[in-house]
Amino acid sequence: MDLELTETQLLLQEAVRSYLEREVPYDRIREQEKAGTSDAVLWKGIVDQGWLGLLFSEENGGAGGSLVDVGLVVEEIARRAAIVPILEVAAVGHVLERCGEDVSDLLAAIQAGEAVPVPAVWEGAGSEGAPSVAVRDGVLRGEKHFVDYGQSATHHVVAALDGLYVVDARTPEVTTTPLRSIGRTPLCHVRYEGVPARRVAGLEASALLVRLGRSLSAVQIVGGLQQALDMTVEYVKVRKQFGVAIGSFQAVRHHAANMAIRVASTRLLAYETLDAIDRGVASDAQAALAKASASRAAPEVTMLAHQLHGGNGVIEENDLYFYTLRAKEQSLAWGSFDECMAVVAGQVHVEPDWF
Amino acid sequence: MEFEWDAEYADFRRELRAFIQDRRTPELLAEYAATYGSGGPLIGAFHRELDERGWMRMCWPVENGGEGRNLLYQYIFVEEMEYYGMPYGNLTYTSIAPSIVAFGSDAQKAEWLPGIYRGEYCFAIGYSEPNAGTDLASLRTRAELDGDEYVINGQKIWTSLADVSTHIWLAVRTDPDARKHAGVSIIVVPTDTPGVTIRPLYTMYGGHTCETFYDDVRVPAANVVGGVNQGWGIVMHALNHERVGLAAVGALARLYDQLVAHLRDRRPEKLEDPVARRRLAELELDIREHRALALRNAWIISRGGTPIAEASMAKISGTELRTRIANVSMDLLGREGGLSVDSGAAAPYEGRAEFNFRLSPIFRFGGGTNEVQRDIVAAAGLGLARG
Ligand SMILES: Cc1cc2nc3c(=O)[nH]c(=O)nc-3n(C[C@H](O)[C@H](O)[C@H](O)COP(=O)(O)OP(=O)(O)OC[C@H]3O[C@@H](n4cnc5c(N)ncnc54)[C@H](O)[C@@H]3O)c2cc1C
Repeated sequence: MDLELTETQLLLQEAVRSYLEREVPYDRIREQEKAGTSDAVLWKGIVDQGWLGLLFSEENGGAGGSLVDVGLVVEEIARRAAIVPILEVAAVGHVLERCGEDVSDLLAAIQAGEAVPVPAVWEGAGSEGAPSVAVRDGVLRGEKHFVDYGQSATHHVVAALDGLYVVDARTPEVTTTPLRSIGRTPLCHVRYEGVPARRVAGLEASALLVRLGRSLSAVQIVGGLQQALDMTVEYVKVRKQFGVAIGSFQAVRHHAANMAIRVASTRLLAYETLDAIDRGVASDAQAALAKASASRAAPEVTMLAHQLHGGNGVIEENDLYFYTLRAKEQSLAWGSFDECMAVVAGQVHVEPDWF
Repeated sequence: MEFEWDAEYADFRRELRAFIQDRRTPELLAEYAATYGSGGPLIGAFHRELDERGWMRMCWPVENGGEGRNLLYQYIFVEEMEYYGMPYGNLTYTSIAPSIVAFGSDAQKAEWLPGIYRGEYCFAIGYSEPNAGTDLASLRTRAELDGDEYVINGQKIWTSLADVSTHIWLAVRTDPDARKHAGVSIIVVPTDTPGVTIRPLYTMYGGHTCETFYDDVRVPAANVVGGVNQGWGIVMHALNHERVGLAAVGALARLYDQLVAHLRDRRPEKLEDPVARRRLAELELDIREHRALALRNAWIISRGGTPIAEASMAKISGTELRTRIANVSMDLLGREGGLSVDSGAAAPYEGRAEFNFRLSPIFRFGGGTNEVQRDIVAAAGLGLARG
């Protein structure tokens, strides 16, 4: 056991962080939020940096990273509030590498930046329930709701009745209707009207996709919350009232400490779950629990950040709102607190094996 | 103890509710949503109608053009207006007008009050400065007497509505040598006075507030309200009135009802789910607890008392509850709960939960931060000495 990042992981984290700070100006993010677009320039950068290779084994042309390594990249990108489908591509990429049937062409295309596949899982108003979309004679019909980055993706990996199918999202049989939501990242509703679909994996892969989506979503939330915490700590050191830094007031210190406690526990659960998925021992309940933890932490931490920033935190010139809004969106994606707790509750242990 | 409303209050609520239902057009609501409190032609016309019925100033003293009614009428008025999401006048009406009534000279009342109740005047509130937030008494915007005029220099921030206001209710330092609370005055600055510069600040909830700059702004000395260097007491009085508004229950009850109606109409399976019902039950509990505090606060005022700890309790509970209702609603709804009004029909009840989540932080630190309110509860309510 090692509850800290390894030397190599710290280097990776630092490399990703400094790259993003250098290459992704916040003003560009503001423009993309308004336009409802994703950051194609950054995506090219991610491809060029080879970070997607962490997802894949050496036989598939990758660098054979662990899911914790992948999580670090996802976390750092969330920490910069950058608008790219990293979680989506990472979730799909890992599942295809692990369970995919004959998908080496797709894995190569992902690493080359030619394919940007995103998952299309949910059909209802929330993120729950089994898929009902069916494929007959290699043709897929139906609708998917709340597909993140669905409008700019090259492919959708659709969860159907009997497993995962890949469809080309650029064909006329696929229509996307954009939705605007709190996170200000691309989101859409999708109709598939008889689009050719290629079966890539079975139902166990669909289940893995949801577990991984939830865990990576938790990690993504942690990234944003960490940034909100760091910004707040810096702010209360420099903001003065009554002649002293507000960080010297006990009420302020307690809020900051509560933020830190939430971020620390959520971070550990999120990475523990990624590691468990890597080792093939994660249950649905474990992933749902990690996501529930992050979903609950998201509004708690960001609302405390606002409380300590006062008026300065709510203006759009300040970067704090990125994290508040993204974290709430992410807390709803892949299952809200309530939806995830329902999964946990369904598998409550009468005599849990705590240790 | 006796909890029943006297008949005249119940009658008033019924009359008001019927009136609201009649005037609540989609056009009016759309104008209200689009202007974030700054008003528009339909809102102006609606206010004139309210005033014709006497409702805009029914609780003011008779000699100031009011009816001298018990303040519980005002409480009911705000509760109903908030519940139905109707514009009922911003802080000009709920906070500034009562302060002019209490502290203004006869000439000032004659000059400003009719414009306020006719909806022609809007007063922006200029207390906060970049370095004077919670520590408001350290404000530095300076006003110096020159003949029969004050010359004002300085900067304010968060002067909401300044860009659409006719006047600014400005807190200035008139005696730099006095103790910090003792050298403050309130002076009313017509917004079009030369030397006033206004810059918008856009916010994460979609509306905007303003920064205002004062560069040798000359205002008649007669515009000082309640005496030179008497400003601090007036600010505290006005903030008390502001807090009553911040604690209003109507908007919260409405968010709850809209959530339940949406579930009933579009997601009936959720109402079958005991866990979801339990979450709703907890929200109902929260709202009823908060209503009890808000009502007690208003009741004390209506009896001529000055609630201190009670006002802070209601301010804390109402503002924190707004965040909680918005958040729990979104969690219950799942992904659709995050859709904003720009998503059109896909957004549940016009994205009100999502909007209120973005809006809610400002209430928890505005009007006196909740940290300071908790200190007030501990000190004034519980007699705990400060360290
Ligand atoms: C949208 C918006 C509209 C507004 N409208 C107006 C307006 O119309 N007119 C106007 O004058 N103002 C307005 N305000 C300003 C508002 O009243 C202030 O934001 C508020 O007073 C808090 O001040 P601050 O933002 O400077 O926060 P700060 O005072 O910097 O406080 C930051 C944090 O430090 C804490 N803190 C500070 N001192 C202490 C202490 N002694 N003990 C414990 N904790 C402490 C606070 O509780 C808070 O959590 C508005 C603000 C916003 C965002």
